[in-house]
Amino acid sequence: MTLFSLARKNIQRNLSNYFLYIASMVFSIVIYFTFVTLKYNDDLSALKQSSQQIKGLMSASSVVLLFFIVIFMAYSNSFFMKKRKKEVALYSLLGVRKQKIGLMLFFENLVIGLVSLVLGIVLGFFMSQGLLMILVRLMGYEVVGSLTFSMDALMNTTGIFTLLFLFTSLQGYRVIYQFKLIDLFHAEKQGEQIPRASLVAALLGTALIAFGYYTAASDMFTSEIWRFFTVLGTPLMVIGVTIAGTYLLFHTVSVFVLTALKRATSWSWKGLNLIGVSQLLYRIRANAKSLSIIAILSATTITAGGGVFGMYYNAEATVRQMLPNTFMWKGDTVEFSQKDVLYNEALSVKNLRVDNEFSFFEYTLLKESDYNRLAKLQGKDQELHIADGSTVLLDAAYDDRFSHDFTGEDFKLQNGDSFHVERMFTESVLNFIPAGTVLVVNDQEFTATNDAEEVIMQVVGLDNDLKQQDVSQDIYKQLSSEQQESFSSVPQSYEDSLATVGALLFVGSFLGLVFLAATGSIIYFKILTEAEEDQAKYAILNKIGVNSKQILKTVAGQVAVIFSAPLIVGIVHSAFALLAFSQLFGMNITKPVILWMVAYSAIYFIYYIFTVRSFYKIVRQGNN
Amino acid sequence: MTPLLKVQNVGKTYGKGANTFTALSNISFEVGKGEFVGVMGPSGAGKSTLLNVLATIDTPTTGEIIIGDTNLARMKDAELADFRRDNLGFIFQDYNLLDSLTVRENIVLPLAIAKMPTKAINARVDRIAALFGISDLLDKYPYQISGGQKQRTASSRALVTEPKLIFADEPTGALDSKSATDLLESLSDLNQTQAATIMMVTHDAFAASFCQRILFIQDGRLSKEIHRGTLTRKQFFQEILQVLSSIGGGVNDVI
Repeated sequence: MTLFSLARKNIQRNLSNYFLYIASMVFSIVIYFTFVTLKYNDDLSALKQSSQQIKGLMSASSVVLLFFIVIFMAYSNSFFMKKRKKEVALYSLLGVRKQKIGLMLFFENLVIGLVSLVLGIVLGFFMSQGLLMILVRLMGYEVVGSLTFSMDALMNTTGIFTLLFLFTSLQGYRVIYQFKLIDLFHAEKQGEQIPRASLVAALLGTALIAFGYYTAASDMFTSEIWRFFTVLGTPLMVIGVTIAGTYLLFHTVSVFVLTALKRATSWSWKGLNLIGVSQLLYRIRANAKSLSIIAILSATTITAGGGVFGMYYNAEATVRQMLPNTFMWKGDTVEFSQKDVLYNEALSVKNLRVDNEFSFFEYTLLKESDYNRLAKLQGKDQELHIADGSTVLLDAAYDDRFSHDFTGEDFKLQNGDSFHVERMFTESVLNFIPAGTVLVVNDQEFTATNDAEEVIMQVVGLDNDLKQQDVSQDIYKQLSSEQQESFSSVPQSYEDSLATVGALLFVGSFLGLVFLAATGSIIYFKILTEAEEDQAKYAILNKIGVNSKQILKTVAGQVAVIFSAPLIVGIVHSAFALLAFSQLFGMNITKPVILWMVAYSAIYFIYYIFTVRSFYKIVRQGNN
Repeated sequence: MTPLLKVQNVGKTYGKGANTFTALSNISFEVGKGEFVGVMGPSGAGKSTLLNVLATIDTPTTGEIIIGDTNLARMKDAELADFRRDNLGFIFQDYNLLDSLTVRENIVLPLAIAKMPTKAINARVDRIAALFGISDLLDKYPYQISGGQKQRTASSRALVTEPKLIFADEPTGALDSKSATDLLESLSDLNQTQAATIMMVTHDAFAASFCQRILFIQDGRLSKEIHRGTLTRKQFFQEILQVLSSIGGGVNDVI
């Protein structure tokens, strides 16, 4: 019998054992192939202006993805090898040379690699086509994606994964040469040496994380730290510091908490608490490592997803903030379809040039009566009654870091007059293009201000405004080129921002999904391997009179710790990262971020239920 | 004297249809309080099956098992677990200690499961550890102690709850003769001074000679029963050897 056929038969007979491993390989390949296919897709690059952005985004993301896949594959490979240690030991005991065992495992890995590569590429092809449709829809285009098989993607995937398989095969070799026969007899009995809960390490970990959080939360435009590490260096520094801190924290704090719990006999000597704590301590080193990895992965996923979802969610809000009217332009009105029209007004406003000690700007002077009418039309519940000599400022672009707050000050005009700024609103009633910042004064003051140029502005409000792209184009075509410059349209702006943000959302949610699936799978693998090792322990418990309900309870408790600890840390990490993000873009993303966190936790919870069920099933098998 | 354990017509069949295998058939006997009973027989005779069935780890196909005034045949899985916790103690051939717990914690475990207050737990653990001579080992892990010490730990765990009935399945199977003698003497001592009821499965005539009464099983049936009476342990040992050679099969195990 040749080695090759031995390897082949090995796989055939142990298919169930291999299933998880092959499944995780195929999973990695499907994900990667899908992603590169999208990257190389012709339909996508044929798309309009945003395609360049998408390409850059996709390239960057595929690096992240690759990095992640390497971690994931190394993880499942090491689990797989651990499971097979006994088999290797048996061969060795029977007198097969290590060299030969290594060669056999190498062949085996090659066969598995080949099978998963073919499977993964076929599945990935179909998945990429499906996702392409979704991507195009999210971006708001109507392009029909055709089924194209990308040779580039095929070459790319095959090349990368061949390298990876070689790498994991070598890892297998390493395991065999490090392996000692005695391991067969003492395997896993000993537990891991419990690391000392060092106060210094715990403090250092806390300090590192606190520093990371502080930096992320501080204002990047004024903070010394941000200036020192530069805008590009600081995020990297924060990420590094946080990862190190997380590892230290899991490593020492978990030991500290668990030993303290174990020592508190009035708690631990109650029911199965002792078992739960001891089991967690038993694998503390491995736990600390994988919990940190999971926490970091969760943080990455939540941050990426939250940020992108926040932007997508804000796309409409941002447009509406700047453009309260569906259409607006300077000059005469034009003919357009009167369907869905809520209002169509010609406003007479004045164009002001204002100098003050900070800058000079063009402002639009608006009559109080016009303001009140428009506010009512736009559904704003606000009526202004402004005193003589006073004004209300409408500045939709106000940002408290860069803009000057005029409230309570005098607003000087070119001709020496000045208005007292009573209040400032960040919500305008006129579109920022063409109106800019607006000064509202009462009607007498408006008439009295005579050295300002009078301008007519058309404001149009439509029902169902996001869908009025046709009307928007119709109007745009009829305007003079000068008017076109002053033209602003809600549907047009919305479409433009969707094109960019939609692609971002797609990439973000794709990566998020991949990370989530992989994070869940890592925990799942980890816990199930441990469950198999622990079967005997639970069988003993059953024999000494622990009923299945209590066993389920302790299993659920242990798994809950392993699931929730990294999730909580991940959520807190990402909350600070998103804080920095929302500062950077000046957006309020609390609501979408919370939605996304809830969604993430919910999916995570489903994984939890599955894991507990499988764990319990494995443990129950041990009883019979 | 009312019997503590009453076994009536117990049978156990594995498999279905034409492929059935009868492990136990029609076994009936009684064990009184304070007795030290041995169960012997050749390999495959059904000793361990009988013990598992009695210990509620396995369920009988037919017959009734009554411990105290509880009929085990009518109990559900969860009730059985609780019953084991409250009434039974086990000593296994392969110790079945939990590697992740120290010796002390292993002994504490059944009391913790029974929700006993910490103070009372400590007192009991110290007493039982002294009885088995493992007081110095309490804070070690199972992988740090020898086989004999492990078995004494396992015995302490079985006895710390002061169970009504103790089941031992080949407790000396993996021990050297010195450790085996120590353990058996401790059990015998416990039986005499505290009137603990012990039922021990063994194929080792030496171990069996510590019992007061021995039931022999052959092909799933009860074949013979002998009492120690006033015999010395050595005389009883000889008698056991004779019985074993007369029923056959067991001799190979002994030699």
